Amino acid sequence: MALPLPPSLTPQEVAFLCEMELVTIIPRQKLQGLELLGGSTPVLNPPQRSDIPLWLALLLKRQRRANIVPPAWLHPTSLTAILEFETEHSKEAFSPPPKLPPLSDALHATSPPFLPSSTAEAPPDALPYHWLEMGEILLEAAPEDFEEPDHVRRLMRDLREVRMAKLRTGVEVLDAGGGVKMNGVGAMEIAEARAFIGGVIDGLRKIGASREQARREREAEERENGFLGTQDDEDDDMEL
Amino acid sequence: MDIDDILAEVSSAALIAPGTRDLHALTRAWVAERVAPELLPYPTPLLDRVLARISEQVRSVEDGMAGGADGLGGAATGGADKEKFRLIVVQTELERWKFLVRGLLRARLKKIDAHPYHILNTPDVLAKLSTSETQYLRAHQALLAAHYKSSFLGQFPPALQRLDDTAGGVSMIDAPDVDSAVFVRAVRDVGFITVEGTDTEFEMKRGDVWVVRWRSVRQAVESGDAELI
Repeated sequence: MALPLPPSLTPQEVAFLCEMELVTIIPRQKLQGLELLGGSTPVLNPPQRSDIPLWLALLLKRQRRANIVPPAWLHPTSLTAILEFETEHSKEAFSPPPKLPPLSDALHATSPPFLPSSTAEAPPDALPYHWLEMGEILLEAAPEDFEEPDHVRRLMRDLREVRMAKLRTGVEVLDAGGGVKMNGVGAMEIAEARAFIGGVIDGLRKIGASREQARREREAEERENGFLGTQDDEDDDMEL
Repeated sequence: MDIDDILAEVSSAALIAPGTRDLHALTRAWVAERVAPELLPYPTPLLDRVLARISEQVRSVEDGMAGGADGLGGAATGGADKEKFRLIVVQTELERWKFLVRGLLRARLKKIDAHPYHILNTPDVLAKLSTSETQYLRAHQALLAAHYKSSFLGQFPPALQRLDDTAGGVSMIDAPDVDSAVFVRAVRDVGFITVEGTDTEFEMKRGDVWVVRWRSVRQAVESGDAELI
């Protein structure tokens, strides 16, 4: 039963990834630690805060067993500051992603969704990789845990529009070789733009394929000639 | 609890639990297989471990359910409720893992179905398949070939009956486009990446996200220095 989807991630799959991110909750009842496949969960002891994966937090929230603490970057003041940065200071590039933690284990470098970028202690001044999904999911599932959910919703929409506009104008720099740096881009933004950006780069490549092929052959020839050329010189020297 | 237990607990808190490691690796493998234009090597040790973990967890859920049914009469309602919730959480997580495994295998099946002759004719690619995938590929192609032959190919002139003809300058064998653009993120410093045939050359540092041809970053992805996103 093969998967009938083109190579990309659907928005649902991106949200599924986002649900693996850690969030901070305030439990409302005691719950023992659970031995799960992906490691054990902390003992929940109200009113002590704990960091657990979003999917589990949503489950607890739905059953009114916990409240979710929105990450610091989802606070209206942080969002306003990030929005200002996106519109005023960085007109072309996205605002930079949160700083990576130092590489403690060289063999096991973690990356989103397994970085603690949406817990209560997460930095307030940067949008993490899963910002759009995280914000939408939390606003949908736990609006009463926000102080001003409508304000946050409005800022999220503004941010999304500003960033989508950047993504669209960024298309102009695309060329056949690819090699476009997109630091700070979000997972959902990639999911949305993947088909278009990939299509443009692949299309340009196919248009320039014959020129590229010619260049590759010329370079190979030059390498060969260069090599032969030096050999000829040596031969000449020998004769002299 | 003696000192060894305490030490074990401290060091296991500092290190990442093996289950967590496998979850990270499985997630990365799933995303990579979903977005890569060609088949990636089958992660045999990882999937063996993951499948063993899943079946063990299924067994423990079944035991828990049997135990819950027995103890329901005697136990206080509060306790039974907690136990029920515990089982819900465990099962939810189990389904998430199963989804990852299924997604990974189905994405692979799609690629196997898309380029059967290319895989069969290229030993390097054939080596990326698991035993059951190879078995499936051969059996499926044998069935298809027999079906095509009996329904229409048999009536063609013998010279035109082949499905993998490469004569005449045009190959009938479709291969994946390894020059497709992919989104890639450096997990560690990767160094310089050059795109063959163009002027594009750049340095990839930890955390950088680039859109680039799959061919030029394939090695970095397979060595684990970069990941597809």
